[in-house]
Amino acid sequence: MTTPAIDTHVVKRGGARTTERFSPEKLHASVQAACLSVRSPEGEAEIIAHRVVAAASQWCYQKSTVTSRDIRRIAARGLELLHPEAAYLYQTHEMVV
Amino acid sequence: MLRVTKNKYTMNTSTAFIILTVAALIHASFQLGTSMLTLLSSHTIGRKKSHARLLLLTNSFVSGVLVMTILLVSFCAMALLRFSGTDNTQILWVAICGISMMLGISVWLFYYRKEKGTSIWIPRAWAAFLTTRTKKATHSSEAFSLGMSSVIGELLFLFAPLLVAGLALIELTPALQLAGVTYYGIVSSLSLVIVSALVGSGHSISRIQKWRETNKGFLQFAAGSGLLVLGFYLYVNEVAASASTIAVGGM
Repeated sequence: MTTPAIDTHVVKRGGARTTERFSPEKLHASVQAACLSVRSPEGEAEIIAHRVVAAASQWCYQKSTVTSRDIRRIAARGLELLHPEAAYLYQTHEMVV
Repeated sequence: MLRVTKNKYTMNTSTAFIILTVAALIHASFQLGTSMLTLLSSHTIGRKKSHARLLLLTNSFVSGVLVMTILLVSFCAMALLRFSGTDNTQILWVAICGISMMLGISVWLFYYRKEKGTSIWIPRAWAAFLTTRTKKATHSSEAFSLGMSSVIGELLFLFAPLLVAGLALIELTPALQLAGVTYYGIVSSLSLVIVSALVGSGHSISRIQKWRETNKGFLQFAAGSGLLVLGFYLYVNEVAASASTIAVGGM
């Protein structure tokens, strides 16, 4: 992946756990999984995930701390433009049960 | 509808099976199992697992639900059989009618949370645990256990149809009781079988989830109304009719 290294810390959900460095790979995997879940072809899922991660990384750039919710919101916004069905699943997967 | 045998009032077979059907359909309209099955399918596909693995996991989940439902309805029937007698049966019917109607109103008011998605009114810690476990499930045994847990997780709402089914079952002959238990299990798992078939035939998970979210108000209304109507019907058919038969018989 060609995403540049970003020195942004992510505050996890609820704030109880320790912060961690922003991981483009982790975001890439979750966006790709959302695309695959709605049966997108692997190549398409890969391209979409790459674009969404690029947009999210750009947003994170020069921010010292963000929350995981912020990242999810920004990624969902990007995904909404590229694959609305995957974006729906990505946004609501914590609200299924 | 009622058969009188030496002061003992038993319903006929067709009435018992109608009650079983309605109770099982109400059971099927509760959504925790469907939510977990949707989540399980979505994560299995997202992890690039094979279609055979997806089918194995969804079928294991449905089997787990089926087994736990059969165990619970059998337990209810056995427990009620111990308490029932010529006099106690009427008291049990009255109690179960009350429970069914109260639960119907509760389902109308509380079943789904007032937020986006299809979150239901179960403790959040339990929901988080089920969500985490569902996402991590990779083996058929895990999916089977999750299916069983989904029934336990929703027991707060399920115990009314289970009790009604149990009480209807004990009115049947032993051979029909076995058929009745199996019938209840199959009908109550129909919604899961449909979702499993849709996922297996290649339908999009997001479309299934979107349909569920769009129609959650209707599903909630249907389940609540079903419980209310069932409670009212049982009261009229099993309690009020028996009381009037006794009164007429005593004259």
